[in-house]
Amino acid sequence: MDKPVYLETKDLVVGYDNVPLLTGVNIQLHAGEIMTLIGPNGAGKSTILKSIVGYLESLGGAVYISGRPVKELTAHELSLELSVMLTERMRTELLTCADIVETGRFPYTGRLGILSDEDRVKVREAMDMVHVWDLRDRDFMQISDGQRQRIMLARAIAQEPRIIMLDEPTNYLDIHYQIELLNVLRRLVHTRDVAVIMSLHELPLARKVSNYVMCIKGDGVVAAGSPEEIFTPAIIDELYDLEPGTFDPVSGNIELEEL
Amino acid sequence: MQRQNEIDEAFGRSVRHRRVTIVFSTLAVLLVLLGGLNLCIGSLNVPLSELLPILTGQGVESTNYQVIWNIRLPRLIAAAVLGGALALAGFLLQTFFNNPIAGPFILGISSGAKLVVALVMIVVVGGSGVMTSGMMIVSAFVGSLIAMLFVLLVSRRINSMSMLIVAGVMIGYICSAATDFLITFASDANIVNLKNWSLGSFSGSNWNDVGIMVVVVILASAAVFCLSKPISAFQLGEQYARSMGVNIRAFRIALIVLSSLLAATVTAFAGPISFVGIAVPHIIKRALGTSKPLVVIPGAFFGGAIFCLFCDLIARSVFAPTEVSISAVTAIFGAPIVISILLKREKARR
Repeated sequence: MDKPVYLETKDLVVGYDNVPLLTGVNIQLHAGEIMTLIGPNGAGKSTILKSIVGYLESLGGAVYISGRPVKELTAHELSLELSVMLTERMRTELLTCADIVETGRFPYTGRLGILSDEDRVKVREAMDMVHVWDLRDRDFMQISDGQRQRIMLARAIAQEPRIIMLDEPTNYLDIHYQIELLNVLRRLVHTRDVAVIMSLHELPLARKVSNYVMCIKGDGVVAAGSPEEIFTPAIIDELYDLEPGTFDPVSGNIELEEL
Repeated sequence: MQRQNEIDEAFGRSVRHRRVTIVFSTLAVLLVLLGGLNLCIGSLNVPLSELLPILTGQGVESTNYQVIWNIRLPRLIAAAVLGGALALAGFLLQTFFNNPIAGPFILGISSGAKLVVALVMIVVVGGSGVMTSGMMIVSAFVGSLIAMLFVLLVSRRINSMSMLIVAGVMIGYICSAATDFLITFASDANIVNLKNWSLGSFSGSNWNDVGIMVVVVILASAAVFCLSKPISAFQLGEQYARSMGVNIRAFRIALIVLSSLLAATVTAFAGPISFVGIAVPHIIKRALGTSKPLVVIPGAFFGGAIFCLFCDLIARSVFAPTEVSISAVTAIFGAPIVISILLKREKARR
């Protein structure tokens, strides 16, 4: 692959309060790639994502964004490289959906954060892409969780980063919007050569959308590779502690216990 | 031009612009109106017809001229500037703690300032020195920073909005109790001064004080306005703010220092004043229909000025010649607003 590497980690150690949770995390994410982290609840997928962007102090190893150590980037430089969509619920007051998406343009505005016409066009593009333009004048607190999630995606897109990081982006979304969200991501990757790194719970979705899958469990990465390599019964059963035969990672078919 | 209009229309921006214009025009009218009333009304009523000549410097010999220029005008400016400062301090604290009922008084920050000022006053005046306004501001600033740090310590350990407020109120009580102790042990001469000041009042403002407070408050407020963008980003939460390029450490420090400085300046010159910091930003946000800092910051400043002019007018005229403490008046108008915020939130939760 000769596309540039946008995100790279070398022997990253992550954890809380100086207690390592995962060690030896090596990620290499190229332009135009979608990488998905999968693994059981609490395995540390979000912890890895948060450590990459420095919300959590990493306990060892290094993170490089477009070849530069992330620690050397200023907050502003990082904001031009990477945008995020998080799972934390927000509480805003009297802000419309357009207001929220507009904040995605802040890295490009002057001191007071006043958007230019060009910025507004970008905001509109991003909102059209996620099909939320109709929500623009609605209060962000008075729409559904799923709608909020899509607004936050539009915000991340409006920021025009090279890398988009999403922490469990399909939370709160019904299957229709889950599929739509992944389609949007694929279109982004295809048209803008963006790199996407995200954590996902839905295995069938992860299998379809990813170029590269990383399995997180215990104290590190237990497997990594293309979806074809990862979505085999052996690896998935091991990763999620499943009885053999209860879940078929290719078809998504589930077998329940006999009563 | 056509394109610009389309974009504006699409964003509902012209509607918003109109609303902002209406709100700010109303604020301007109210400010002028209340300014005039504050100058004219008092134990000596100055007829409106005389006000303009006096303000333009005519009739230097008349009593009215003396009253206006030496007493009412400095007091008016003090009330307006300090009111604006309080409202901004409240807005900053609400943003910082993501809590609509945070404010300098309720979080104990004003009382912290009061305690240290009282302490310094007794030591300095007791040692027969004179307390300068600069010293007042510095000691109030130290006091409010200490109280703020306490609140921060508490807020790290608890996640609940209401508990943070309770902790702040307790810090306020402790500081007020300690101030009362100090007053008890102070010499007679200090007591009169301290007692009046610790209840809160805009009376006794002189041009010297006004000059200092105007400079401090205007500089701090300009700095707050320049933080519009990071504040706006911070409204989405700390992590999103970071992802938009906000240096979160520097930003937090700036918020703490600026809100403490604004609250301290008010306390230094007028004593602790309650509820302005909560009520005014709330009303302004509702009126503007947005919480965007770019319009809320100037709006809250003027709103605070108007609110304090109004309350000061009541404080000194309702039971004239006796003055009511300013905090009593602001509480009567401000506390119901806090209750309504709480009720609304409870309703929204269900």
